[in-house]
Amino acid sequence: MRNLWTDEDTVEFSIPGDRNVEVLGTLRDDPDLAFFMLADAAAVDYGVDAHFEVVYHLFSWKHPGWLRVRARVDRSEPRIRSITDMWEGAMFHEREMYDMMGIVFEGNRDLRRIYMSPDYRSFPLRKDFVLPDDAADSPAAGVNPLERPETWDLSHFREAVAVTFPPSDLRGDAPGEGVEGGDFADSESRPR
Amino acid sequence: MTRTDPEPRIPDPIELDAAEEARLRAAAGLVPARPESGGEYAGFDQVGIPDRPPQTDREREVYSLDEGEMLINMGPQHPSTHGVMRLVVKVRGEIIVDIDPVLGYLHRGIEKLCENATYTTVLTYVDPMDYLSTMHNEHAPAIAFEKLYGIKAPPRAEYIRALVVELNRVFSHGLMMGFLALDMGGLTPILYSFINRDEIVDMLSAISGQRMLFNFFRVGGVNWDTNDEFLSRLGTWRSRVLKNIEMNEDMITGNEIFRSRTIGMGTLTGDQAISLGVTGPNLRASGVPFDVRKAKPYSIYDELEFDVITHEGGDSYSRYLQRIAEIKQSIHLIDQIIDKMPHGPVQAQVPGIIRPRPGRAYGAVESPRGLYSVYAISDGGPTPYRFRMRDPSFISLQALPKLMPGRLVADTMAVMASLDPVMGGVDK
Repeated sequence: MRNLWTDEDTVEFSIPGDRNVEVLGTLRDDPDLAFFMLADAAAVDYGVDAHFEVVYHLFSWKHPGWLRVRARVDRSEPRIRSITDMWEGAMFHEREMYDMMGIVFEGNRDLRRIYMSPDYRSFPLRKDFVLPDDAADSPAAGVNPLERPETWDLSHFREAVAVTFPPSDLRGDAPGEGVEGGDFADSESRPR
Repeated sequence: MTRTDPEPRIPDPIELDAAEEARLRAAAGLVPARPESGGEYAGFDQVGIPDRPPQTDREREVYSLDEGEMLINMGPQHPSTHGVMRLVVKVRGEIIVDIDPVLGYLHRGIEKLCENATYTTVLTYVDPMDYLSTMHNEHAPAIAFEKLYGIKAPPRAEYIRALVVELNRVFSHGLMMGFLALDMGGLTPILYSFINRDEIVDMLSAISGQRMLFNFFRVGGVNWDTNDEFLSRLGTWRSRVLKNIEMNEDMITGNEIFRSRTIGMGTLTGDQAISLGVTGPNLRASGVPFDVRKAKPYSIYDELEFDVITHEGGDSYSRYLQRIAEIKQSIHLIDQIIDKMPHGPVQAQVPGIIRPRPGRAYGAVESPRGLYSVYAISDGGPTPYRFRMRDPSFISLQALPKLMPGRLVADTMAVMASLDPVMGGVDK
């Protein structure tokens, strides 16, 4: 991961995954810190060859910013301890993280899928989860038009569309039709 | 009818002996609703789905039945669950022993969709989430993306944003008043609520172009400036909104049935509410003065004068009074915003496809249902690397199984309506 920055009203730090209960317990119970409210708990997948992160956002009256605690979880062994003993409301957060990312929370006594059906086998928000839709069979499969233009490989895409678009009887007939120069050779005409 | 059978299988609540009554009252006092004896595992056939072994301890608890208990489904197609949600309710006669919410009937995978959409498009995708607070749904991502991209919206845009989100809050809270009465059998108040809502959505469609899913916010501003139709409708609405709200309030607040079914019902203390993650009006009705507009002021809320309203009761009735007080507070805020609104542009200069620097940003707003926040991660590309939404009604729904044990089945929907969840937001 590149060197990241953070915004102006949030303080953040990282911890190893096995210390989350200890750190969050201190943050909550120390009277000088008093982060009494769990604002959010979410999981992030940093890619197939990287790691997961469980991200907690906390709120306290005594501090001007939100506090973000990032707990690192191994991708090969996605286990972390549950914080449902501290905040009962973490239950749905953890069930959602288990459902969507496949992170197991030890000590959570209701860790089952919350959105997907109980017999579902995948974890949809992981980065290696590919949507099994019709687009995978289309001529443009493998081309994500939102990727950086220098990575585009449009050769087979161009062959597929050249026979149908633009129709030859429209081409150049009406000025202002928007199809002139309509082959995709110059990437400047593509919407950026 | 004289009772000849010495052991009726399903006891009437009136016939419960004192020990049983005490046990259920203790359960209603929000100790974890767990019957002491395990009971016998009954299986999923009871609620009409194929049987399978229970996956967790909690699931085994819910699906284990003591003598005299039974499981029933409430929903997913139920007129008063405020959307498609299934509650597996364990009952003993008319008294609720346990509740297990089953979610996911409306799950659309919006977070995954947003990871494949440009930053501008994300603001469209989040619209249908909590469909009664669409403006708030767009506000939090807009704040987070502006932090990521390092720009500020112009002052007039911030004022227009505050104006439309407060209008949205008024009709959302107004609908809650009507739906709460509707779930107790009162058919009239919802019609008055919809008069108010229709005036506001007509106004907002004049400024945004859409009637329900407004798609009004942009990164770095809003889509349109105010126009004559919007301001004209705003003035007309403002001249009669208080009368409309008070008319509705007169009809509901003093009603004897309404009072007896809300006062003392579903009581949530402040500590329990914090532990359960309940936020918004539900938390403030329990006496905790947490309001993101004051606690972490965003947009222009540090320039406006208002106090955080709280109620002490923590029951359904307090939550209802809290909504009414916040409607009047929002109208007061709208007056201030109109007075102070500056001139100027409404949209900062941003390119069509935004590529923020790599980073993370957290944007939180106070939606009508509580703390709605967005956590966005950028890797430098045109789409968010990760886009996480914390929907308040999803988290607040966890309070329902804690509130209901010991109550009657018919009160489930009344308590649920007082928590005001929206299933589009619960299921994302």
